[in-house]
Amino acid sequence: MEIKDTAVAGTLESSDIQIMISKATDGIQIELKSDVEKQFGDQIRHVITATLNALGVQAAKVKAVDKGALDCVIKARTIAAAQRASETTATPAWEVL
Amino acid sequence: MDEQIVDLYLKDPPVRQEWERFLTSIGIHNFADKEVDQIDYTIGIYSGDDLVATGSVAGSVLKYIGVCNKGVTTGARFNAIVSELVNRQFANHVFHLMVFTKLKYSESFQHIGFSELARSNEAALLETGSPDVADFLSDIPRVADQANKKVAGIVMNANPFTLGHRFLVEQAARANDLVYVFVVNTDASLFTTDERTELVKANTQDLANVIVVNGGDYMVSYATFPAYFLASTDETVNYQTTLDARIFRNVIAPALSIKTRYVGSEPLSRTTGIYNQVLARELPPAVELKVIERNRVNSDDATIITATKVRQLIKTGELKQLPRLVPAATTQFIQDHLKTLQARIQKGMNIDGN
Amino acid sequence: MADNEERLRRTMMFVPGNNPAMVKDAGIYGADSIMFDLEDSVSMAEKDAARILVYEALQTQDYGDAELVVRVNGQDTQYYANDVKAMVKAGIDVIRLPKAESADMVKQLEADILAAEKEFGRQEGSTHLMAAIESAKGVLNAPQIAAASDRMIGIALSAEDYTTDMKTHRYPDGVELEFARNMVLHAARAAGVAAFDTVFTNMDDTEGFYRETEYIHQLGFDGKSLVNPRQIAMVNKVYEPSKKEVANAKNVINAIEEARLKGSGVISMNGQMVDRPVVLRAQRVMRLAKASNLVDEEGNYLEK
Repeated sequence: MEIKDTAVAGTLESSDIQIMISKATDGIQIELKSDVEKQFGDQIRHVITATLNALGVQAAKVKAVDKGALDCVIKARTIAAAQRASETTATPAWEVL
Repeated sequence: MDEQIVDLYLKDPPVRQEWERFLTSIGIHNFADKEVDQIDYTIGIYSGDDLVATGSVAGSVLKYIGVCNKGVTTGARFNAIVSELVNRQFANHVFHLMVFTKLKYSESFQHIGFSELARSNEAALLETGSPDVADFLSDIPRVADQANKKVAGIVMNANPFTLGHRFLVEQAARANDLVYVFVVNTDASLFTTDERTELVKANTQDLANVIVVNGGDYMVSYATFPAYFLASTDETVNYQTTLDARIFRNVIAPALSIKTRYVGSEPLSRTTGIYNQVLARELPPAVELKVIERNRVNSDDATIITATKVRQLIKTGELKQLPRLVPAATTQFIQDHLKTLQARIQKGMNIDGN
Repeated sequence: MADNEERLRRTMMFVPGNNPAMVKDAGIYGADSIMFDLEDSVSMAEKDAARILVYEALQTQDYGDAELVVRVNGQDTQYYANDVKAMVKAGIDVIRLPKAESADMVKQLEADILAAEKEFGRQEGSTHLMAAIESAKGVLNAPQIAAASDRMIGIALSAEDYTTDMKTHRYPDGVELEFARNMVLHAARAAGVAAFDTVFTNMDDTEGFYRETEYIHQLGFDGKSLVNPRQIAMVNKVYEPSKKEVANAKNVINAIEEARLKGSGVISMNGQMVDRPVVLRAQRVMRLAKASNLVDEEGNYLEK
């Protein structure tokens, strides 16, 4: 999956995470803001990276604002943002869900 | 699902009244048409028949955010409103947003992903999304060993580029190793941002140590300094330019090793005059401010060269006087595009401002 | 009718599909059915995100014994096909079709579900469906809709759109819904599926909520759709069987057990033959009594 455009999914409301994905030349860079950064920052980054890897995204710039999201929410928002950024929303990657 | 966010149509007088009444009740009072007319859309939350939260968007700037927390978890409505505005703008492919806010709300915005660019005693300016100021700075060209060079910066609207601008840039170029000319990015002037930028480039291309860049949202933009484009009180100009100056001092200058900022002396424009005073107060000692006296057309003519004067000549079509005020590339452009420029003036483009 | 054990469906709680806080917590309130909504509570720009969110939550969250329902977007929208596919893949119990107006619409959904079950290797027939009746046409076709599929578990009246279609709106006394309620209920009973009443949205009118719930309980509805978890306990209270009803049901259950032990094919009680509707009703009362914590595991009445 190729990131073609900037796209966002998720909100800033409690239990959600807002994920913004933009084009990058190389690798996955994640900028994370979270009130629980100290305890869960690594885990959140891990879920985002693993989800993008599963989608076949090689390069992306990710900005994430976490409001206490569960892993399943982080995964869901990452998929939604990546599909929007790659313009594949109408043809979801069923195998990655 | 208890509280739905709804669109507020401010064109509807009762809606506008209710909206003003609510904002007034929480301490927001400026409903001048020139401010409200900038709004693209407004949303709100009702509790029963009462408006309890609202927010608006003007381009990439969030405005008129107001929330009443009575009876609900503090922050819930604020988050809902700002989140909705941010999401709608993102859906509209506006991925970079800014907000001017009273200092006490800065933290609330930071809590939902905004970063503070600058703060004064009363106000703060914050941004969210992408590209942010770090992206903006990383895209600006640099020279080898820049940290050890004498680097200067000039911010100009150049509407259009005159001999006065040329004189200012020359002075800076002569005294420094490298000069950045930041062109104001807001399209609220007779000459478009693209046209102004092209004319700055064309008229400085002989100066090898000058780099012309777009000022983005960070220098005298509609986001940081709306009073530059809308007639405003001295107080408003003062408070906006304080933040503008602090972004330059704290964020822009250190990243590019800029040690000196050049401005032209400002005997004519009140707004720019205040701006220069604020720069003099805020920039030193981190950044030195050099005020260059405006040159006059020649010794026997006391006319001060201003872009305002050039725009008046365009309006009347008296192009013969142009070469005394602007460099060749600007003259050429005006001659080639006179009809287009005059049409813009006829359509109501204000030429007496900046 | 879907070949599933009849279960309690007193409360079907609506959960906006794009709200992680509500999706996450949906299991903690004790609703008999949880309905994740991809339709009206989700704005057009968020349809994809809500679908993915509900999908991921279904993979990881524990919703206990609740029956899990998803309301997909209507068949005339561009979201419907992917909604159905994603939810079948997620292994949802029930797909709810909004704005059902004909048996053909239900048959179309059935075909789409079957195709998805095949595509994603799910057991064929494992995904059930239900239909929401939201228009005059839907009400008049309710008998055909209710009987249109072996996967059907129930039909629900959705009054907001229906009253708009009828050129009226909702009133506190519900007279405007009388025909639709009876039609939906009869269609459901004739087809042997569940009947769900519509939502009651004014959270401040507790008295009105009880009045409406008692009314639809009296008519014979299985339960009610809810927008707020606070309403769950209120509905359950209305559906709570009386001590006398529990005692009667217990007698019927004892008579069944007696007949089983005797190896008798005929169940009798007090000299009367106990026929099937009576047995079913007794079983239902005991289920309600258990769910209301009125009896222990053995069915003994617990004095409060």
